[in-house]
Amino acid sequence: MANVIEMKEERKDFKEEFETTDMALFVRTSEESMNDWNRQRIVDALIRETYIDVDTAKEIAREVEDLIVTSKIKMITAPLVRELVDTKLVERGLEQARKMHTRLGMPLYDVDQLILHPNKENANVPHGPEATNLTLAERIKKEYALLSVFSQETADAHIRGDIHLHDLGFVDRPYCSGQSLEYIKRFGLSLPNSIAMAKPAKHPEVLLAHMVKFAAALQSNFAGAIGWDAVNLFFAPYLVGMSDRDLEQLAQMMIFEFSQQAVARGGQAIFTDLNLYWEIPKHFENVPAIGPGGERTGKNYSDYMKESQRFAWALFNVFLEGDGSGRPFFFPKPLVHITEKFFQTPGHMDFLHHICEVASEKGNTYFVFDRGETAKISECCRLSFKLDQTDLEDAKEPWKMRYCALQNVTLNLPRMAYLAKGDDTRLFSKLTEFIEVAVKAHLEKKAFIEKLLSVGERGPLALLAMNRDGSPYLRMHRASFLIGMVGLNELVQVHTGQEMHQSRQTFKFGLKVIAHMKLLVDKLSERYGMHFVLEQTPAESTAYRFAKLDLRFHSPRSGHIVKGDISKGEVYYTNSTYLNNSAVLNPIERVRQEGLFHPLIEAGALTHIWLGEAKPSKESLANFVIKTFRQTQNDQIAFSPEFTTCNACNRTSRGLRSSCQYCGSQEVDGITRITGYFTKLSSWNKGKIGELRNRYRNQAYIEEAERGAALKVG
Amino acid sequence: MELIKIFVKAKCPKCPAAKEIGLELKREGLPVFHYDLDTIDGLAEASFHSILSTPSLIIEDEEEREVVSWRGMVPTIQEVRQYLFRSN
Amino acid sequence: MIEIKGFLETSFLDWPGKICSVLFLPGCNFRCPYCHNHPLVFHPGQFASIPLKKILRRLRSFKDWIDGVCITGGEPTLHADLPLLIREIKESGFPVKLDTNGSCPGILEKLIEEGRLDFVSMDVKGPLDPFSYRRATGLPVDLSLISKSIEILKREKVEYQFRVTVVPQLHSREEMRTLAQQLGAGRRVILQNFNPEDPLDPSLKKTVPYDPKALKEMERMVQEMM
Repeated sequence: MANVIEMKEERKDFKEEFETTDMALFVRTSEESMNDWNRQRIVDALIRETYIDVDTAKEIAREVEDLIVTSKIKMITAPLVRELVDTKLVERGLEQARKMHTRLGMPLYDVDQLILHPNKENANVPHGPEATNLTLAERIKKEYALLSVFSQETADAHIRGDIHLHDLGFVDRPYCSGQSLEYIKRFGLSLPNSIAMAKPAKHPEVLLAHMVKFAAALQSNFAGAIGWDAVNLFFAPYLVGMSDRDLEQLAQMMIFEFSQQAVARGGQAIFTDLNLYWEIPKHFENVPAIGPGGERTGKNYSDYMKESQRFAWALFNVFLEGDGSGRPFFFPKPLVHITEKFFQTPGHMDFLHHICEVASEKGNTYFVFDRGETAKISECCRLSFKLDQTDLEDAKEPWKMRYCALQNVTLNLPRMAYLAKGDDTRLFSKLTEFIEVAVKAHLEKKAFIEKLLSVGERGPLALLAMNRDGSPYLRMHRASFLIGMVGLNELVQVHTGQEMHQSRQTFKFGLKVIAHMKLLVDKLSERYGMHFVLEQTPAESTAYRFAKLDLRFHSPRSGHIVKGDISKGEVYYTNSTYLNNSAVLNPIERVRQEGLFHPLIEAGALTHIWLGEAKPSKESLANFVIKTFRQTQNDQIAFSPEFTTCNACNRTSRGLRSSCQYCGSQEVDGITRITGYFTKLSSWNKGKIGELRNRYRNQAYIEEAERGAALKVG
Repeated sequence: MELIKIFVKAKCPKCPAAKEIGLELKREGLPVFHYDLDTIDGLAEASFHSILSTPSLIIEDEEEREVVSWRGMVPTIQEVRQYLFRSN
Repeated sequence: MIEIKGFLETSFLDWPGKICSVLFLPGCNFRCPYCHNHPLVFHPGQFASIPLKKILRRLRSFKDWIDGVCITGGEPTLHADLPLLIREIKESGFPVKLDTNGSCPGILEKLIEEGRLDFVSMDVKGPLDPFSYRRATGLPVDLSLISKSIEILKREKVEYQFRVTVVPQLHSREEMRTLAQQLGAGRRVILQNFNPEDPLDPSLKKTVPYDPKALKEMERMVQEMM
């Protein structure tokens, strides 16, 4: 066994493997001597990694050696030596040097726990060796991010829980991305570092294969969602003359490919958004279509309405069926855009009923409302924006339409209210302060990513630097920087004594907080020439984390504020600007009132309608969707049914039950939407379980008629 | 008594006309409130009423229920008066 | 005035194609073993009554959204002042749907003739013979009343549907075929699955409902029989 420690070999001899082997290697000591011990290694490391002078380094090395000798430790590990050196740095007040010399890693116990128990921070990660690798890597990168990418001030704000920096474990990637199929249709698959180059697809199945592979490549370069614009439309030129059967088959392949959990990064399904249109979006009508072989077909996209619609229909047939055991597909997520033109397009009511049937039976459908005559597009993280003149120019060459959000930072709104102690001025100045910290975090992340990108196609983010059409794949000047919020409802509750749904005044106060954020973010965008946008953070684990931290730092007040069950540890804050999940508000009120926030929030705005066990009529849902489009400002709605799936007989029934309705087995799992996607309850974190218990599922007012004095708007 | 709420922005060509109506009605002793969408209170109030364009004018009854609104346009003062004195 | 024991402000499933509110009235003359509403129906005292005034005020604040009001129970036609309740709702501008088990054809006919109803949903409990009906309702039932109600609806003076709650041991495929023939109402017959969560007869808790696919298939069969 090569009993080497980091101090043994010349670092230059095996530079590449240095950090990885380091951890596994030991120095053994015996009564008389220490094998392979070389004090100089400590000195070298200190000189290489920190700014201290040689004399101090030598002095420290000698002291550490003395300590080891006199303590008679049997086995010295590299981490131990490092920590002993760090102690000496601390004794000398060399704080900065200690930070630079520190070691990233995990305690044995934690690794053990991790390998044996599932990860609950993100329910989209299954448990297995691949997932464990992902988590281990994330832990180290997270530490690296907090120590090295972000300033101390930013990192502290995150650790304290004033803000949450999302996906720190993926600090070396941008957050999420939205693109057009036209890119791979035109350029084929020719990725940096890949061993084979594929020419533009000639057949629909091949185009699908390219799409899946490219999505996987993107997943390795982004932390979060991978969105695709107008998927059915851009597939259309490949579908001319295809039989219903073949089309259905293709639709099935697409959904199965994107729903498989086990194939991708860390065994984690790619968070795929498929944007779908029944009409030909105005900005694509006169765009020359690209067909097989990456060639222009000589027609415009408006000539492919039939194929585009048939494909959209077929996709929803597949969603309606569900997977092999009748469960809803968790991914990909279908987002249907409802626009003025939708209602002018023949067959729209049939299609609306079709997608509403899917919403009722399986829940998959997202209804995205693009109102008015201005063209809008949804990119990643459900960020939608109006197309300006340069975008409309891009739309003529749709492969250029690729967007990203670089990072997502979420603010702990209730925290500000505890700190403000009921004083309005203090509250708003705290809000400003937190937003400024978030902006600082964005600047730091941007600088870091730019550093990685500057190495170009030979660097770590080669895919994003790849240049096929005159600009790199990641168009930094079009990047957005997300600022999210959690617990507006609890901020209002702490500050005013009432929750948002309880009175008109408190609801308006909530609007005031978001209005302040919106105005400030716009101002900062102008100042920095960057696109900061407000987002309704999905906050799958953040809502839980903030609540826990505030229970620690702002007790006893927070004890009356956090939602959920403190005795069970199932605590959470209400997501973003949502109204209390348990408030007795019918779907009309929820859609109407939550929708009032949506014009202020550009990204991710969504209202959930929890259906529980009920299976609504598709015509009634369609009716509701149309009214939501016409009579509210709500950006997006989704209906969430609940299911019980049986691990014994593999059947799926409606509603959450403790045993299988068909075979009686207790080996069951629940399925419903956690935030923006469906998943199994067994993978949920405690906070979200607390929320699930509280969700108001539109039951009748019986007995509890007095409880929810609902607010009337308009 | 009805309330009149007027929503404006600094750089909006038709807003001065809307403000003028507000001032006129105020001189007549009616409760008129001006909201500037570039301020927090103004933007919050506008969001509450789903006002996305300026100038806009709405009339509310005593219980703050909307009686009528003109969104993104300026009514004539006669049109506004019609609604104000109808119920009295 | 009738005591209203439950109020669902928005329902997407009680009136096909519409968004409706649902009012629950107490009391019933049947004892269907699979009834899932039974606490409300047989022990209404446990629940607070909701003043109609309050309900109408709520309805008005959703007037652009709510397309109608569904009155259900229990059995609404047992209440003498049901017409009064219906009038109040209609005067507030909302169409009315009535859910009934068809045991009071006189009242049903009068309401329809006077044009007070916009939709009627009649629960049919099983094949129209004394044995099946008694088994499904838990009581002996005068079948002529049920047949009369069916006949009234089939005059088509008002939109209607027949709804059957399907419980495997009470409704075999054969029995459903018989019922479909007796009703002869095609697509106006809809089937709904039995819910074993909390039935009036606790022994039914162990009953496994039909698989949703099988039920859909059965519904197709029923609807295709004229």
